[in-house]
Amino acid sequence: MRLKNLKIIITCLFAVLVLGLGYLQIVHGSYYQSLSVHNCIRIVPVEPNRGRIFDRNGIILADTLVSFDIMVIPQEIKDKEKLFSFLSGVLKMKTKTLLDLYQRRKLASFAPVTVAENVDRDQAIVLEENKFRFPGLLVEVRSKRSYPFGETGAHVLGYVGRVSPERLEQFKNYGYTIEGMTGYSGLEEHYDHFLRGREGGVQIEVNNRGQQVRLLGMKVAAPGQDIGTTLDARIQQFSQNLLAGERGVILVMELDSGEILGMVSSPSFDPNAFLDNASSQRRASYFTNSQAVLLNRAIRGQYPPGSVFKIPLAMAALNTKKLNEHTSFLCNGSYVLGNRVFRCSHVHGVQDFIQAIAHSCNVYFFHAGLIVGPKIIEEYAHLFGLGALTNIDLPYEEKGNIPRSDALRQRRWSKGDTLNLSIGQGDLLVTPIQLLKMMAVVARDGKDVLPSVIKSIGKSQVRREAVLHDISISKSYFDKVKLGLRGAVAEEAGTAHVSSLSDVVVFGKTGTAQTSGGKPHHAWFVGFCPQAKTRIVFCVFLEHGGSSYHAARMASELLKEMKQQEIL
Amino acid sequence: MVYNLKKAIWATIIAIIVFGLLVLYSASSQSTRVSQQVFYNQLFFSALGLLAIFFLSRVDYRKYYDFAYLFYGINVFLLIAIFIFGYYALGAKRWIEILGLNFQPSEFMKFSLILALARYFTDHKPKISFYNPWAKPALFSEFIIPFMLTAFPMLLIFKQPDLGTAILVLGIFFVMVFAAGVSARYLACFFGLCVLATPLLWQMMKSYQRDRLMVFLNPNIDPLGAGYTIIQSKIAIGSGQLFGKGWLAGTQNQLNFLPERHTDFIFSVIGEEWGFIGGIAILACFYILIISSLRVVEQTKETFGYLAGVGFVSIFALQIIINIAMVLGLCPIVGITLPFISYGRSSFLVFVLMFGFLINLGKKNKIL
Repeated sequence: MRLKNLKIIITCLFAVLVLGLGYLQIVHGSYYQSLSVHNCIRIVPVEPNRGRIFDRNGIILADTLVSFDIMVIPQEIKDKEKLFSFLSGVLKMKTKTLLDLYQRRKLASFAPVTVAENVDRDQAIVLEENKFRFPGLLVEVRSKRSYPFGETGAHVLGYVGRVSPERLEQFKNYGYTIEGMTGYSGLEEHYDHFLRGREGGVQIEVNNRGQQVRLLGMKVAAPGQDIGTTLDARIQQFSQNLLAGERGVILVMELDSGEILGMVSSPSFDPNAFLDNASSQRRASYFTNSQAVLLNRAIRGQYPPGSVFKIPLAMAALNTKKLNEHTSFLCNGSYVLGNRVFRCSHVHGVQDFIQAIAHSCNVYFFHAGLIVGPKIIEEYAHLFGLGALTNIDLPYEEKGNIPRSDALRQRRWSKGDTLNLSIGQGDLLVTPIQLLKMMAVVARDGKDVLPSVIKSIGKSQVRREAVLHDISISKSYFDKVKLGLRGAVAEEAGTAHVSSLSDVVVFGKTGTAQTSGGKPHHAWFVGFCPQAKTRIVFCVFLEHGGSSYHAARMASELLKEMKQQEIL
Repeated sequence: MVYNLKKAIWATIIAIIVFGLLVLYSASSQSTRVSQQVFYNQLFFSALGLLAIFFLSRVDYRKYYDFAYLFYGINVFLLIAIFIFGYYALGAKRWIEILGLNFQPSEFMKFSLILALARYFTDHKPKISFYNPWAKPALFSEFIIPFMLTAFPMLLIFKQPDLGTAILVLGIFFVMVFAAGVSARYLACFFGLCVLATPLLWQMMKSYQRDRLMVFLNPNIDPLGAGYTIIQSKIAIGSGQLFGKGWLAGTQNQLNFLPERHTDFIFSVIGEEWGFIGGIAILACFYILIISSLRVVEQTKETFGYLAGVGFVSIFALQIIINIAMVLGLCPIVGITLPFISYGRSSFLVFVLMFGFLINLGKKNKIL
């Protein structure tokens, strides 16, 4: 009968309870007895101040502000009614709300209970002055992260929040605690180790009434180190304004050092929203938004480079001596392969090597691509750092993808694939930072560069190091390609003529990358200014921005402003 | 063992309630975090509850058969109404105000669901049984419909959120299906499915519920936060040792180390102040009450009474076992009260209804 089984089960479970009770009370009774009766030691954690983040000119990008919290120590309260009515008067909150908060948060009589967070300075002063009248009242000074520029450049900075369980598991041995703050994404995450400082604590002895008997020891919290970055707040702000309402990226890097002066990805988020509970809705929307606002497109967005990819192809063609600067092809507006027609943007007529770069003639590079062949194109793409991490000091960089002609899964590599590859289409994917770095390498005649955001930690200057792979290609070949890049901007018929400025010499290459699904094309403009006061390389990318014209125009606005601010 | 069932049931109920009042008096005596009012409230409705059991035991239990689906319907309606009219307390929307009194419809759901399932299986006796194991089982009528009856209120309760009661409701389903004699194959399959669905459940849980589970695995990861209660509870119980610290003398209890000590964690006050002896005594009372009630049910010939009886006794036993196990740190913390002892009107009243039913069941079947 089933009822009999039920009785057996219940009896067994009761036996387990009896055993459990016996185990706690008889076997380990004296241990728990000592814990409860003898003096206990408690540790009250003290949070360190997080290090600040500065731009290259000492402007604060991430600050640590002082915030005043009002706390009450239960065991020291003399007259609860009076204390709370006084508090409600000063803080302009209802006594009942305060009392409710107090009741809910109280843990033990020695542990201070926070009844109000982030109160005004004036209120804090009033309370501080009246502290002696109300024993148990405590005004605690705490630090609070603040990002004065809000959405501007939020992706490079990242944000802070409570330690997540996964990270706690990973970093338990490094002093991470569940209550502590930690950086997420961007510099806040990459340099968290330096920024966070070391948590301190007060060790106290309490009796079985939970009251503090004496102070046993104190470990002062070590504040985190300030971080100096290579960023320029002016460039950041101006890039942000330019990208307002657009999806895209603006990158500016110093040519000689690889220091990132500007990195803005749009749409952006407000890192301040991660700091207080009032913004939890806004915060949640960041994670669900279809625009992927938290994504740093500059290092994590992967897109086809379009015609910008003609640069490594051109270098390959020259260096393998398959073409020279006099090689000309006729462009009549399209290239016919079998029954497929590959189009060019215009009917360019006869084009030599330099004109073809300046005018971004597809037909010329179809010929070039077929002559050079996919294996060598691939090799040069890798040589110029595409499809590989740039090792910038920001977390979660993506690699992109260089298709391998000998390892297609479904079918064999066709000539059509080579044509697509030649103009940066097909399965080819790169990140904006990769194109920036590629252009820098071209500008530097093959000398490799390591993009970096860090400049100093604490008081010491920091210079990141990595194994660099210089490209040994004759300088004369670089000069020929650069002639084309200059032509693209300087010539009336150049694809980036809109970005030509009277007082700045700009080199550059546009790219309009076709996208599937009938969406507008991606727009690229990547270039450099080798003769300016600060020699820079830049990359403007507009996701589904239509024609590269828009990117080139945006770049000229950026350069104009930089000239005006006397950066260039 | 020969003893007078009726006397045993009444005596243990009264003993448990009186003992519970003593403990609650102690738990609220400091009146800092738990107001003394708690004790007087409980005193009042304990007395009322005993009277109610007495009167309910004179109400013919077969009347519940007629009202089973009505009760169920009203109760589900109230569960839905909570989402509209209910109010928050302790981070969950569980309470609703009717005629100036606050109720937790989820507590009553245990009662009405058992009645509804008992009636269902009375009307649709499973074809397969221990007596006729080769009959072709009917999946739909024997399993799917009763499961739907359970799942709907269970989801509503889970959403409040009240993980503990939701688990209990699932427990009711198991017990009722088991008692009704539904094919063991279904039970086994269903149990397997439940195990497979655990990751899904994890996804659906609130973060504090996950914290509790994590903390169950290792209370020391957060000794001042989520792990606090369980550590303090174990210290309280363990330090009670064999004889306890004495009534009103538990340091953990009196010094506010124990949160929720008047509701879910009341057993730790018992353990601390009355020791192993007191703990065993109260466990024995519960055990005698359960076994005696099961004897009554055992001898019931009539299906509805039998099924409802099994359900009531099982839920009673299940709550005791889970509550004490969690206080001892043997299972994760899920908000489940200790019957007749924890403070709480709805919880108390539900067991009053159940035991009124059980005693009447005994009378009508000439057992008591």
